[in-house]
Amino acid sequence: MIAAAVYFFGAVAALATLLMLFQREPVKAAMLMLTALLATAGIYLALSAQLLAALQIILYAGAIMTLFIVALTVLPQAWRDHPEKKPFLKVLGLAAAAIILTELVKVSAVLKTVLRSTDFSETGALALAQQLFGRFAFQFELLSLVILASIVAAVALAAKRRPA
Amino acid sequence: MTPFFEANRDLLIFSGAAALKVLVFMGGIMGFAALLTLAERKVSALMQDRVGPNRASVFGFAFNGLFHPIADAFKMIFKEDFMPARAEKLLFTLAPVFALFPVLALFAFIPFGDYVMVYGYRLELQIAELPTALFFVLALSGLAIYGTFLAGWASKNNFALLGALRGAAQMISYEVALGLTLVGLLMIYGSAGLQDMVRAQGKLLFGFIPAWGVVYQPFAFILFLTAAMAENKRTPFDLVEGESEIIGYFIEYSSMRFAAFMFAEFIEMILISMLAATLFFGGWQVPYLYETGFILPGGKALALNHYLVSALQVGSFTVKTVFFSWFLLVVRWTLPRFRFDQLMGLCWKVLLPLALLNILVTGAVMLFSGKL
Repeated sequence: MIAAAVYFFGAVAALATLLMLFQREPVKAAMLMLTALLATAGIYLALSAQLLAALQIILYAGAIMTLFIVALTVLPQAWRDHPEKKPFLKVLGLAAAAIILTELVKVSAVLKTVLRSTDFSETGALALAQQLFGRFAFQFELLSLVILASIVAAVALAAKRRPA
Repeated sequence: MTPFFEANRDLLIFSGAAALKVLVFMGGIMGFAALLTLAERKVSALMQDRVGPNRASVFGFAFNGLFHPIADAFKMIFKEDFMPARAEKLLFTLAPVFALFPVLALFAFIPFGDYVMVYGYRLELQIAELPTALFFVLALSGLAIYGTFLAGWASKNNFALLGALRGAAQMISYEVALGLTLVGLLMIYGSAGLQDMVRAQGKLLFGFIPAWGVVYQPFAFILFLTAAMAENKRTPFDLVEGESEIIGYFIEYSSMRFAAFMFAEFIEMILISMLAATLFFGGWQVPYLYETGFILPGGKALALNHYLVSALQVGSFTVKTVFFSWFLLVVRWTLPRFRFDQLMGLCWKVLLPLALLNILVTGAVMLFSGKL
């Protein structure tokens, strides 16, 4: 039962990702990516990692994808009925995909042995919080610097357009 | 009894109970949402010194407009289902589904009563008893944005897209504030399960004040209600629709597809009312009512039957939900619409800092009172 659900959501995620790669319209590609993200949350749920599933939906589907989609919509490319075909970009995209695929295969070869041994059970909010604010507190706080840098960059970029 | 039933006894009872809960609770919500569409017009009529809808009648009986929701449904069904020629067909069709699904799914986490013993079985009055329900509430409410956005984008209409962009900006912003207002509650109850939170609210403070969430977090309640109203996209936060300027993200929708968006809005109102009742006003708790009956602070007790206690609790939850729905209706017909910069300013410059301050103060009080 659990295995069937995992394979089903896994298949949906893989299919959506494949379709996304061959989708030329940005917003549709983003929707396919959303499907893949939700299917991943489904895998977590099937493995009864509820908190992880909820966080996956809140952070990726709810926050990041929404921002992606809003950013995509205001691009002029989203408004063309027939996107231009650029063979150079296609080659570039395929090359990038090939590199990512080889990296993923390399990583997953290691993970396969790890996953079997770890008991992938429910992680409570408390356990997660203790890790984040205890053991990894410094790294966690360091992350906020990255966000600060991006905020400063965004403000700098946005302020340029404003007439003096 | 057949061998099949014997073998799968627990599973069958569980599925049957779940199906029954979904049917009763969801049916009740659908009926209530239909009545809300009437209440909306009646409240607006009351405020504008009119009578409101009162003509739809069956065999000459109008019951002051009670049949209008049914008449509306028939009208919507028989309207032309129009789709713009340039629209994205699949996404245009999916958008109403995306709008309706998250708000409906969210009701699974809301406890509408404690439990009922039926033939020796303990029937929890909550569809999905998750210990992480509050996170799922936030997760699913975050998905509601896609309905709005897809409707606007797939219509290929500039006004619809403007509405969708406004909607996306508004909902992302208020989502953050909404999530932060609930952190204080998480800290106090130490649990993300909604049923646990409601049970914790059954205690008494100083021996006579019901320990409802609003007593601990009065500030968070106001912030939560404001952010939730903004998520609901109704006046004063209805810039997404803005009838007088851009009409809205569902401008190209007609017939039942339009009805799905409208209905989603009303169902979301019920959801907000139920969440406000559950998180801040004790959910199904009745002050001084316990499993065995009333026990007043003075020590006087009144023993009550288990079924009567359960009925009182479900009734209490219903009354609270109806009250908050009425409150949302009154707010909608009282306040004028914000300007967009005011809307964004309210979220990022007022609600967000205040929500963070609330977390800080809650944490400080918990630390010094030794609760941490």
